[in-house]
Amino acid sequence: MQTQDEITGEFQRPKLNYLNNGTTLKSWLLTKDHKRIALMYLISVSAFFMMGGIYASIIRLELLTPASDLLETGTYNKVFTQHGILMIFFFLIPSIPAVLGNFLIPIMIGAKDLALPRVNLLSLYLYWIGGSFALWGLMQGGVDTGWTFYVPYSTTFSNTYVMAVGLGIFINGFSSILTGLNFIVTVHTMRAPGMTWFRLPLFVWAHYAVSLVMVLGTPVIAITILLMALERVAHVGIFDPSIGGDPILFQHLFWFYSHPAVYIMVLPGMGVVSELISNFSRKKIFGYEFIAFSSIAIAVFGFLVWGHHMFVSGQSIYAGMVFSFLTMVVAVPSAIKMFNWTATMYKGSISYDTPMLYGIGFMGLFLIGGLTGLFLGAIGLTVHLTDTYFVVAHFHYVMVGGQVIAYLGGIHYWWPKITGKMYSEFWGKISAMLVFVGFNLTFFPQFILGYQGMPRRYAAYPPEFQVLNIFSTAGASVLAIGFLMPAIYLIHSLIWGKEAGPNPWMLPGLEWRTSSPPPTENFLEPPVVTWEAYEFGEDSGLDLEEARRRAAVAPVA
Amino acid sequence: MATHVDTHGEYHPPGLQHQFEDMKQQEESVSIGMWMFLVQEIMFFGGLFTVYLVFRSRFPMAFAAGSNHLNVVMGFANTLVLIVSSLTMALTVYYAQKGNRNMQVILIILTMIFGATFLGVKVVEYKEKYDDGLVPVTGLNRKVKASAGEEHGEEPAKPCWEGAHEEHEYINPKGEFQWHDCSLAKKAENEGFLTPTEKIGYYNPASGQIDANKFRDKVRIYFWIYFAMTGLHALHMIVGLILMSWLLYKAWKNTFSAEYYMPVEMSGLYWHFVDIVWIFLFPLLYLLGRHFIAHGG
Repeated sequence: MQTQDEITGEFQRPKLNYLNNGTTLKSWLLTKDHKRIALMYLISVSAFFMMGGIYASIIRLELLTPASDLLETGTYNKVFTQHGILMIFFFLIPSIPAVLGNFLIPIMIGAKDLALPRVNLLSLYLYWIGGSFALWGLMQGGVDTGWTFYVPYSTTFSNTYVMAVGLGIFINGFSSILTGLNFIVTVHTMRAPGMTWFRLPLFVWAHYAVSLVMVLGTPVIAITILLMALERVAHVGIFDPSIGGDPILFQHLFWFYSHPAVYIMVLPGMGVVSELISNFSRKKIFGYEFIAFSSIAIAVFGFLVWGHHMFVSGQSIYAGMVFSFLTMVVAVPSAIKMFNWTATMYKGSISYDTPMLYGIGFMGLFLIGGLTGLFLGAIGLTVHLTDTYFVVAHFHYVMVGGQVIAYLGGIHYWWPKITGKMYSEFWGKISAMLVFVGFNLTFFPQFILGYQGMPRRYAAYPPEFQVLNIFSTAGASVLAIGFLMPAIYLIHSLIWGKEAGPNPWMLPGLEWRTSSPPPTENFLEPPVVTWEAYEFGEDSGLDLEEARRRAAVAPVA
Repeated sequence: MATHVDTHGEYHPPGLQHQFEDMKQQEESVSIGMWMFLVQEIMFFGGLFTVYLVFRSRFPMAFAAGSNHLNVVMGFANTLVLIVSSLTMALTVYYAQKGNRNMQVILIILTMIFGATFLGVKVVEYKEKYDDGLVPVTGLNRKVKASAGEEHGEEPAKPCWEGAHEEHEYINPKGEFQWHDCSLAKKAENEGFLTPTEKIGYYNPASGQIDANKFRDKVRIYFWIYFAMTGLHALHMIVGLILMSWLLYKAWKNTFSAEYYMPVEMSGLYWHFVDIVWIFLFPLLYLLGRHFIAHGG
């Protein structure tokens, strides 16, 4: 599908689009255009991803040898803490919602903008302010509590910059809340005529579910961090057992947000993958309602399983049993999605473009990540696996193998829409392969290491674990190259890429029915939707003749 | 539609933003947005209510003791003030819909006066706690030198542990949290309704007696929660007053009409929400264990 210009000639870049409507710095910093805000998020989020990645590289380098030789153990504590904080709060949580969701939701539902554009801009600024506090704290000397800020590490035993970083996360939380709030309002009130709830792309459904989690969960982490900070200042002891406080209470409050946050970090990825699988199989998605409602089910059940983070920290055994059961239950909607995606691909006309490679990669990696989650949700087995590298491998399979892969897939898929330019498909495929191979090489050995008993968060380990750690570090190098390549060829495409045209993939979604890049208010004519989601037949309103003509000249690979 | 600039040539109602088709869509969006914001506020306060719930169920007697020390008259007066301010706020919305500028201005000023009264009473209450050494942070209480202690006319409460030095009551040179009254814990112990968690919490494991310092720590947790909850609530009141000042300016310029009154209605929702939080705080913090006073003293 890269050969369209051979068929139809050069595409003209639209004269007026959101990128050239105002070129001053002010027109960017004070914009209310969701697409510009999304682009600014894209740049900021990428910067945080780079920083988190550098910390990850340092961790992998340290673990190349059994002794703690590259870093002191105290420094190692800071390095893994900062890797976690940057990646989770400042990359994974805003990644897909704030970048792709922000850019695409109004276009996908046929609106001119999000319902509350000023709130959207405010959330970007809160993200920047929160990020600045966190970065300032990290530059001053960092935090060594682990990204979870468990008491008493964070209240009594740490004299690092807990307050600055905590304040950063507190502020950043409100950025996330406002983004979620905006999406909910937008989906409720801004849909174009004919865009019924069950014609919404599943990307939008997934974001609706995520937004619910953001609005309901994030305030709890805000108050938790506030309590932690007050406790750190006042030493009143609500988290200190020696004077009647309860450290498990902190863990309950923390995970009441942070477990649902895990779904903030994967549901948007599932939304992207629903798009990729259906569109690149050129087949109506199988079980649309099931996928849509499974997103909502994940959001709801996600709030009921936080206790599985405390199986061995002193929670009552009966609570543990209930949480274990609910953890098994929350796996069901994820499985429903997996089955429906597979059924969608069955007998579809699959084309292996770069986004689809990421989409298929997601399915494989998320499958492993999800199934190992069941190991950890079983209260018996988890006693053996808690706080080992098995846990590390599990959540990296879900977070990186899930969200990051889906994010990259989404960036590639919508890159022509965002920038109006096509990237190099050849390099795209190479990098997708490298990411997949590098990722597995990095994290699969960690399952084995964890099962053999290597604990997480230590700079040193017994020599018999070295071989697998070398595999892991080697894989991390491949993964790093795989992540760096898109940065190069995507930026390259901005200048030298071919014009993409409005619909380079020949797809029916509303976002492909406006120019690339879109005009400021998204559509020149207000759209009226008369087709179902993922409709590839005669009713889709697609130019089927044109699609056939292209397919004849450049057969789908 | 194709214009890339924000200004529109055609007439549109006052206050309609470019992304909406009509006022109805805008009102609906703003309204859902505000309700979602209030939902997140509920979750935000919810964390604190959870902490309250956990510690109250664990140490009910300490909570009752701390609660009896609050000024219930001031708390009740503040409750009334807030309820009346909710009425004036609701009337403001009514008159904004009517487009009656003068009534809006009067009612907004009244609402602000009630809000400020509430905060003023709160300051008096905080000052009392500060003087009595009930702020749970060391150094943030009134520092009393040893000599000044004798000037204090009030008879100190009878300490409940052996070997206490009464002459050291009220002497607080470091501004520490002070609590000497263990009578409620004693009463509960005598009547046999101290819970197992309380026994663990209050007793000195060596002597098997109620330990005043351990009981004090639990009361301090109560006061910590009291300050956290009412402080956060007061912060929301201050934000509400800022909103009201902005509304006052807008109403003064006669911005609101039957067509465009959403800012008033949304600020009203926020104001009512903050009031409702207080409606929960008042009984939870002030009215615990009043019956002990009624029956016992």
